[in-house]
Amino acid sequence: MLQYVTLTIDGSRVRAAKGTSVLDAAIEYGICIPHLCHVPSLSDIGACRLCIVEHVRNGSSNVTTSCTLRVQEGMVIRTNTEKIVKLRRNIAELLVAEAPNSRAVQDIAVRCGVKEVRYPFRNNNCIQCGRCVRYCNQYWRANVLGFIGRGKDRHVDYPLGTRPDFCKNCGACTLYCPMSVTPCEGPMKRGEEHLCGKCESQLSMSASLPGACVRCDLGKGFQCARHA
Amino acid sequence: MVKIKNPRDLESLRVKIQRERKKIHSTIIMCGGTGCQASQSLAVIDAVKNQIARQGLQKNVHVRATGCHGFCEQGPIMVIEPENLFYCHVSAKDAQEIVSKTLLKGEIIERLLYVDPVTGKKIRTEAEIPFYKNQDRQLLACSKLVDPKSIDDYIAIGGYEALAQTLMGITPEEVIEEVRASGLRGRGGGGFPTGRKWFECWEAPGDEKYVICNADEGDPGAYMDRCLLEANPHLVIEGMMIGAWAVGARQGYIYVRHEYPLAVRHARYAIHQMREYGLLGDNILGSSFSFDIEVARGGGAFVCGESTALMASIEGKVGEPRPKDIHTVKEGLWDKPTVLNNVETWANVPSIMLKGSKWFASKGTKGSKGTKIFALTGQVRNTGLVEVAMGTTLNEIVFTIGGGSKTGKAVKAAQTGGPSGGCLPVSKFDLPVDFDALTKAGSMMGSGGMVVMDEGTCMVDVAKYFLTFLQDESCGKCVPCRLGVDRMLEIVTDITEGNGRPEHVGLLEELAETVREGSLCALGKTAPNPVLSTLHYFFDEYVAHIEKKRCPAGVCKSLISYTIDPEKCEGCGICIRACPHNAVKGEKKKTHIINLLECRKCGICIAECKFDAIMAG
Repeated sequence: MLQYVTLTIDGSRVRAAKGTSVLDAAIEYGICIPHLCHVPSLSDIGACRLCIVEHVRNGSSNVTTSCTLRVQEGMVIRTNTEKIVKLRRNIAELLVAEAPNSRAVQDIAVRCGVKEVRYPFRNNNCIQCGRCVRYCNQYWRANVLGFIGRGKDRHVDYPLGTRPDFCKNCGACTLYCPMSVTPCEGPMKRGEEHLCGKCESQLSMSASLPGACVRCDLGKGFQCARHA
Repeated sequence: MVKIKNPRDLESLRVKIQRERKKIHSTIIMCGGTGCQASQSLAVIDAVKNQIARQGLQKNVHVRATGCHGFCEQGPIMVIEPENLFYCHVSAKDAQEIVSKTLLKGEIIERLLYVDPVTGKKIRTEAEIPFYKNQDRQLLACSKLVDPKSIDDYIAIGGYEALAQTLMGITPEEVIEEVRASGLRGRGGGGFPTGRKWFECWEAPGDEKYVICNADEGDPGAYMDRCLLEANPHLVIEGMMIGAWAVGARQGYIYVRHEYPLAVRHARYAIHQMREYGLLGDNILGSSFSFDIEVARGGGAFVCGESTALMASIEGKVGEPRPKDIHTVKEGLWDKPTVLNNVETWANVPSIMLKGSKWFASKGTKGSKGTKIFALTGQVRNTGLVEVAMGTTLNEIVFTIGGGSKTGKAVKAAQTGGPSGGCLPVSKFDLPVDFDALTKAGSMMGSGGMVVMDEGTCMVDVAKYFLTFLQDESCGKCVPCRLGVDRMLEIVTDITEGNGRPEHVGLLEELAETVREGSLCALGKTAPNPVLSTLHYFFDEYVAHIEKKRCPAGVCKSLISYTIDPEKCEGCGICIRACPHNAVKGEKKKTHIINLLECRKCGICIAECKFDAIMAG
């Protein structure tokens, strides 16, 4: 039998099955915590850090990712404090400066309140969310993709650099890649990257109602747990 | 090989070894640590042994190749007991003289004596040297007494007695209580109370538990753990065994990086010797305690010093940290409760058990007890390993023990805590070295690296150096650490190249906060420290770089130009010959001129000029 716990997210009492993550519990109740590397049914690694929340415990708060935090009885979570919003905006800014050619990342950046990007754009495309790697290794158990190198050299690649025979050609790596959602006006040229921001009007609701799920288009195309 | 089946066997073995050792008149202690090996100490050992054999002194003179003594700058080091004579910079050629003069006739070879750089006087014995005199060497003192490859040496100085006492009648709860009362805190950087860690692991349900020794030291300029493990592996292992008994572990790992070949070899050899004596295996010393240790080698990633990444690495996975919402004392190695402690922490355990928690707690400050080893490096006269009681001031370490600046320029700052520590200015040198005081000042204890910098160091350049290191060593898993540190480096590089803008400072501070709060593991959480501490204490240097496009220390190449002072230049022509780019022109006996278009600012001319006539600025 499933055991349930009750926790508080942004002041609302939420009931969730033991063992689920705070992020899943929040999404189930329509509380939108922006997230990128989280894919329903795959393990969470806490890499993109967009889903950070404040975990209030014994009077002090601790910033942690909600996708890796398991629900506990009596937990108090805040997803939209000033500190979290600022941190999340800075992280989204780092991401969009790295991969401006992804509509998914652009949308998340706008949703997180990025108004301008203060770093030179890099047009690196891969933001190493690890969605492809985890889907390949955990869902299909194909182990065709993996992370290679560390630090700045870390990248997603096949073993030994060539596509092995055991790749099942399922195409899930492409499907799950944030880069597969290109900006409406097509990819931006190197040197001309900018923050699109045209969908801002569609997302403006989020400013007045922080934390409410706006059922953004993004989610539909991007395997948001809400649309799954 | 006799098996040691119970504490009585151990005691009788100890007595036997000590009785045999009494026949030895004098002992030549030669440092065989990595530092001294690099300056050919092994050749000296061979030569000395040869000479002793030739003179027929084998029975009376014992040559002991030990681990690091700490005073690496003076290597190879030789100490002759019982006179406590200290010879430094010994070479194989001196062996014959040492044996024939010092050993046979008792004469002192003046030229091998240590010269105090402060007073200029020659010092005869080790105990009188200010570098050693002002330390409180509890752990390092043993290094001199044992050959790391001889378990007998360790048993002779009372080794494994703490283990025997613990196994014969001290319950795990009492051990944990003793460690907790001693106030011992993790020496690896975090400073977590060891007793509490053990208690949480002891409390955690499960039969299978592990203890791990973290010897994956990777800070630039720090080598305390390396030397301790190389010099006295049995001390570390004994500590681990006591810890294993306390928490109920049957298996231990020593995680040591592959770049420390001597440490790997010595640890493995120590384990081999212990198995032969029956000190590892089932029912150790006749008790119910069974334990074994394996050496796990790391590939040399800095991030693998982080507990979860280290455990992933032992498991054979990619060494990347995982979120620590559940602590490793509950779910660690193979998801079993695990205690991970630093080499130095383990090494402190046996003496706590033998001498009691009160003795340990008598040293140090309110929040930090015991002694701590620092690797004193940089622009100080005496570099090496320094062990002092917690609460000693930075002034004492840098000036009294370290002897002050080496270059003649004034000391400007000390960087403590490795790459993720901070830089403290000279005005903060009256701070006691203690976990909380350092953290409060914006630096940290770290594992104990201490790099001293003089006025010729540009603090923006220092921040850049450490950011480069961190960006290189970040595992790259989470965004704030991978991209945030990278962007910080980008900005700091811009500043050092003269492209800094006033808004950069605010952006750096904001980025630093994002990286500190948002990162997954401790590496990322502490990564902004070099930038934050230099911004805090040396803000004027950032301002000079950004607004005046000037590097006050004359380090950042894009912001300086070399000029020759006509007053000082004698026209000797040394710089003309030295310059690899043919940038210096001039005639004999006339002031030379540097062609700024050709000048690559390599600094060779400055080093060569005997009249200090060339200036960078």
